[in-house]
Amino acid sequence: MNKDAQLRHSINQKLIENGERDRLKELLRTKLIECGWKDQMKAHCKEIIRQKGLDHVTIEELVTEITPRGRALVPDSVKKELLQRIRTFLGKNSII
Amino acid sequence: MSSAGCVHLSSLKQEAHWKQSVRLIHQWFVCCGSLEARKRKARSCVCHLCGAHFNRLHSCLSCVFFGCFGRRHIHEHAKTKRHPLAIDLYHGTIYCFQCQDYVYDRDCELIAREEQRKAWRLQGAAGWYTNWEPTRRELELLRQNPKRRKIAPNSTIGLRGLVNLGNTCFMNCIVQALTHTPLLRDFFLSDRHRCAMESPDSCLVCEMSRLFQEFYSGFRSPHIPYRLLHLVWTHARHLAGYEQQDAHEFLIAGETRDDNGKKGTHPNHCNCIIDQIFTGGLQSDVTCQVCNGVSTTIDPFWDISLDLPGSSSSFWPLSPNSEGGGITNGEKHAPTGTVPLTSPTSLTDCLRRFTRPEHLGSSAKIKCSGCHSYQESTKQLTMKKLPIVACFHLKRFEHSAKLRRKITTYVSFPLDLDMTPFMASSKESRMNGQYQQGDSLNSENKYSLFAVVNHQGTLESGHYTSFIRQHKDQWFKCDDAIITHASVRDVLDSEGYILLCPLSCARFVFECRG
Ligand SMILES: [Zn+2]
Ligand SMILES: [Zn+2]
Ligand SMILES: [Zn+2]
Ligand SMILES: [Zn+2]
Ligand SMILES: [Zn+2]
Ligand SMILES: [Zn+2]
Repeated sequence: MNKDAQLRHSINQKLIENGERDRLKELLRTKLIECGWKDQMKAHCKEIIRQKGLDHVTIEELVTEITPRGRALVPDSVKKELLQRIRTFLGKNSII
Repeated sequence: MSSAGCVHLSSLKQEAHWKQSVRLIHQWFVCCGSLEARKRKARSCVCHLCGAHFNRLHSCLSCVFFGCFGRRHIHEHAKTKRHPLAIDLYHGTIYCFQCQDYVYDRDCELIAREEQRKAWRLQGAAGWYTNWEPTRRELELLRQNPKRRKIAPNSTIGLRGLVNLGNTCFMNCIVQALTHTPLLRDFFLSDRHRCAMESPDSCLVCEMSRLFQEFYSGFRSPHIPYRLLHLVWTHARHLAGYEQQDAHEFLIAGETRDDNGKKGTHPNHCNCIIDQIFTGGLQSDVTCQVCNGVSTTIDPFWDISLDLPGSSSSFWPLSPNSEGGGITNGEKHAPTGTVPLTSPTSLTDCLRRFTRPEHLGSSAKIKCSGCHSYQESTKQLTMKKLPIVACFHLKRFEHSAKLRRKITTYVSFPLDLDMTPFMASSKESRMNGQYQQGDSLNSENKYSLFAVVNHQGTLESGHYTSFIRQHKDQWFKCDDAIITHASVRDVLDSEGYILLCPLSCARFVFECRG
């Protein structure tokens, strides 16, 4: 593992150990519902299923197809808030 | 997923201990309540083939194997070992590699939900906030009653006047504020109150539940809260005389009860919804002036009672070097020859006053555990744990041995309030020199105003009304039976007696109050 990957790994471990990862997950979920992201994605999925027909779409194809749009549609403010939370967390819990 | 379900899961469910293995994976790797489980998860949850800790990790249901979905390592495992089923470690859902779909199985979902609830409880969270899903019986009821009420985004359903039953405006204004608390509304309308009282007839929370039904029934005629009054009359008699009563006392009677059930009409340890959303933790640090030793205590609180300028007990103004808001600042910038622009006292000023170190004086020496003798000390209050709904009580009524009077000083209050500066954690980081002001990205400690209770008139003869918010910015004035539109200005210009503000991110807080 290179240094970067190692750091990511230990940050992830700390977040899990602390329960912070679950809190972040819930925060993100709430934020994405609030800003309409979830509804947008739902509509997008419905559109794809309508186009291809219910019997011709697998969940894997659906995920592959919606992922780029899903990433792009996350508002900057949400990303910033999460980043800030992680920073604060790391400030309080020394990793290395 | 086809309606027939997954035959692969069905055959797994023939095995003797399948439930136990699903449960164990949930306990140890999906939703970990204990520190031990989280530590193990942090250590061991990596893809056994590529070592990644991300990329949608799944755990095999038939053997001990973690693999990532992103690089198809779990697929590989499923194929070579002929283990078709795996649990998604982020969401707890079950995927079948044969059917190429997630499987929706009642038994598995039940296990997942149970384990999730257990984990929340272990982490100290309330654990009752989950998305509502109808039970079989509820589904049946829904089928039998096909009539639905659809609520438009600008609907004013829930607005209903309350008849004054003889100086009961003190009660009406609080009921209006509570019935419009979004979290309480969601709680009661989804029928979450499980009554722990021996006789539900005398349960204030049950009565609240009924009130919500009344308010959201769609009827517009004023409701007569005689049942509530009767309940208050029989169980909290000191509140219910037909004289002028205090709205704040009424709210507190609903909120507070200690382990002895001293106050209020609630059973002991009922841990009811009202408790859960209004309780916060107040930290009190007493610092010895000789050895600088600090002794800290944390007590629960149900509201934040703030002294006002003009009251005889407080020592206003704030010290001149405290930043912002003070009268001295206004004078400095006022052009010469005009009346000095004095900015009014703000809620933030009151909070700063509330949380500043206070010298206890030489007549109130406290035994210091460091010095082993009585010493002069300072005391400082900070917020250890914020309540989900903050209740600010402006102490407008002064009852002392000498005088009883009402303080009418105008206090400005904001629509959005950040409590971060008044947190115990901020004080600590300030002392360590890490505190940064204006951390505007963090919405964790932010409150938004949604109800203001006002008292008009004098101490002897007065009247209570309230402003309540619907949607994001629609304000209404509730004056007993009469409800009228109000502007934001009307609200902000009002005197203010009790202010109710929920945390902006309250849903989130509900689920992981730790
Ligand atoms: Zn299958
Ligand atoms: Zn992998
Ligand atoms: Zn396996
Ligand atoms: Zn009850
Ligand atoms: Zn209760
Ligand atoms: Zn001392």
